[in-house]
Amino acid sequence: MLSPLEETLLALMMAVIMLGMGSSLTFKDFRIAMRHPQAIGIGFASQYLFMPLLAFLIGRALQLPPIQAVSLILMGCVPGGTTSNIFAYFSRSLLGLSILMTVCSTLLAVVMVPLVLALYTTGIDAAFQIPSANIIAVLGVLLVPTLLGMWLRRRNANLGACTELMGGILGVVVIVFLIATWVPRNWQLLMTTGPEVYLAAIGLGLCGFVIGYWFSRAARLDPRKARTVSLETGIQNGPLAVLIVTLSFSGDTQQQMLLIPVMYSLFIVINSTFVTFYYRRLSLREELARDQAKVETAAPARG
Amino acid sequence: MEPPTATQDRPWVRHYGPIPATLPPPEHPNLAALISASAARFAAQKAFTSCMPNGMNGALSYAQVDDASDAFAVYLREGLGLTPGSRVAVQLPNCLSYPVVVFGILKAGCVLVNTNPLYTASEMTQQFADSGAEALVIVDMFVDKLPEVLPNTAIRHVVVTSLAQFFPPVVRQVVKAVLKHWNRVIPPCRVEATALGQALAKGRQLRQAQGVEVASYWRDLPPESLAALQYTGGTTGIAKGAMLSHGNLLANVTQIEAMAGSHIGDGEECVLTALPLYHIFAFSVNLLAFFKYGAHNVLVPNPRPIQNLQRAIENYPISWISGVNTLFNALLNEEWFTLYPPRRLRAAAAGGTALHAAVAERWEKVTGTPLVEGYGLTESSPVLCFNPLVGVRKPGSIGIPVPGTEIRLVDDAGQPAVRGEPGELAAQGPQVMLGYWQQPEATAQALRDGWLYTGDVAAMDEDGYLRIVDRKKDLILVSGFNVYPNEVEDCIALLDAVHEVGVIGVPDPDTGEAVRAYIVTRAELPPDAVKAHCRQHLARYKVPKQIAFVDELPKSPIGKVLRKDLRAEYLKEHPPTADGSRAC
Repeated sequence: MLSPLEETLLALMMAVIMLGMGSSLTFKDFRIAMRHPQAIGIGFASQYLFMPLLAFLIGRALQLPPIQAVSLILMGCVPGGTTSNIFAYFSRSLLGLSILMTVCSTLLAVVMVPLVLALYTTGIDAAFQIPSANIIAVLGVLLVPTLLGMWLRRRNANLGACTELMGGILGVVVIVFLIATWVPRNWQLLMTTGPEVYLAAIGLGLCGFVIGYWFSRAARLDPRKARTVSLETGIQNGPLAVLIVTLSFSGDTQQQMLLIPVMYSLFIVINSTFVTFYYRRLSLREELARDQAKVETAAPARG
Repeated sequence: MEPPTATQDRPWVRHYGPIPATLPPPEHPNLAALISASAARFAAQKAFTSCMPNGMNGALSYAQVDDASDAFAVYLREGLGLTPGSRVAVQLPNCLSYPVVVFGILKAGCVLVNTNPLYTASEMTQQFADSGAEALVIVDMFVDKLPEVLPNTAIRHVVVTSLAQFFPPVVRQVVKAVLKHWNRVIPPCRVEATALGQALAKGRQLRQAQGVEVASYWRDLPPESLAALQYTGGTTGIAKGAMLSHGNLLANVTQIEAMAGSHIGDGEECVLTALPLYHIFAFSVNLLAFFKYGAHNVLVPNPRPIQNLQRAIENYPISWISGVNTLFNALLNEEWFTLYPPRRLRAAAAGGTALHAAVAERWEKVTGTPLVEGYGLTESSPVLCFNPLVGVRKPGSIGIPVPGTEIRLVDDAGQPAVRGEPGELAAQGPQVMLGYWQQPEATAQALRDGWLYTGDVAAMDEDGYLRIVDRKKDLILVSGFNVYPNEVEDCIALLDAVHEVGVIGVPDPDTGEAVRAYIVTRAELPPDAVKAHCRQHLARYKVPKQIAFVDELPKSPIGKVLRKDLRAEYLKEHPPTADGSRAC
């Protein structure tokens, strides 16, 4: 169980991360992303249609006990993680689109998370309801520093770039922090946890990457946008799920509920790192090729 | 009656519009005087900003550049004991140290030897030894080659600087840490070297202690004194140092001013410098001409990938861009650029290699401003021709001769070409170099009867606009017919599956020479399809006889396809036999 100090630290770090994300953005980035509403729509669909369904199906297929099934579905329902933006950044994907998807899915989370959660958890346990107030509180954590960061960057490019760098580093630190505070205390629990829980925690993210990518490609997004959606879909906001669980439950229930979100966060960092390296290589190759690509001519000249 | 020659009555003068027909004399006797006068005039304004890909930046005002370059001049003269005419090599990418160091060298009356930072150890050795450089200013990223290079040169002093030099302290540390620990591009320095910061401190201290009046270094420096040895590979392969005098470069600044003055406001411009300053195009246009105008110069260390320019274009009110075809082409492929082109942009200038008509057309549509193509050589400081910004711009043309420049087109017999017929372009003007450094033979070949022979074949239309047909040396002689590789390349490049193409002539027992095309494809392409396509558009003898598919083409630092490398490689693999027949 996280101590109040750790909870505060967690919230604080997420605020700094979002500050860093904001300072990597301009309103132009949003306007460019807005020119691709289909990408946002696709992101929304994979985020709130496919991920919860996927979580539900994985839970069913692996016959997880109710408490873990619920926390897995919670993992599937929470919006895209801020870490997805960091990975989008490192993989040279469309950062603007990634952040826009994160912001949109987070804004919509107020309605969508309770709704989808209720849909998939009907008949399991009414006690696992997440108060909307908690979600709104987290939203504040996410949006205010983002705007502040954008303002910082407008004021001073150097300050913006330094904040951006710091936010990126903290994004990794926060996951390390989560793991460092939770894993040692729950060693026993981890040892006695069955392989199906591991499989569920790892599989959710991996399936998310694959589905996000191919759904986007099927919807005719270009490979770079598809990679962005892929990362956005696969990477859920683990720390947010942890925050929600700690704010909503206590004692042994909390301990049990935290198992999947923490394990998911751990493995998603590892998996995303590999995926990011791969995507980064593809992006760089495409960028260099685009540098040299021909400008389309209206009509071919006659020689 | 003799037919009219192409350049007889200077038809281009009709198209000058606001451009003065005769060139006004330069306002200053040397570059140091120009730099110092401009710095005094625009003292408080920003002169240079260096913008990293993530937006981190540092800036120097006109007064700061002036003061620091004074200090560097004193360091060279009093600290290192260099004398006027001593060569100082500079091996820096675009960064704030560049103007400080280069202006310091010019103020000290020393001779600048611009060196490509990406050179290999043997290329560095060759250039340093040939120029006889006594001192070297180098960026910390490339010091690892020095232990191998220095013993074979006359260099006795090394000054090291960093990309983040002159950045605000915290940002400077962050950039240094990222370069060193994250990108790992800063090797340890294994030779004795002075940091630029220390050199400047020493210069300031000496200046005060000895009461040096820095302006006395250049007060009597005449226009004909040597300012720079600008090395150029040319087509022969061995690099030669073009001797450019203060007067050459000043004249070219005045000529650039004459051509572009209508679109430049004193102290109002913000120019994007993405091309390397060690290259003569950016050196004369961006560094010298725009400094004279009090422009704010935004330096980008590395424009590849082109995404690296995004922050510079977003964060600064860019009003001028200079570049090469590949750079404009790359920008036009970026959504962030085409959706939000720089709002304050007034014009862009292209040089280096041929600007594609499609790129120019699209650029003008996207930005609403002219993109004009010019032409020049390292040997001519470099500008010889430019399309006028006001009046007629002809796509595919390099424009008209700049004021003060005489142009001649000469046929193989050395006679002026008839109008409309191609001939080798020869030029005369105050911007033409003094000669090649310690190369009397090469000089005599390039400078004949006061004319610079460019080695480029050009044709002039009735308006006096010139079009480059090809390099004279690249001309392919198929059964006595002239084939210009450019024409064949342009034709092959029309195929969608073709990414890039280079065309050369190779020995052939039947036709003397045969056309051979090297193609980088982006999709599958059978050789017969290429030949069929060429047969549709070209005369029979121009259609490539041989086609080779390759992964990439050898290119110069600014992106020109190096045909001489292709030829050399071919001849290595297919050595000609004694009787001239094919080896295989």
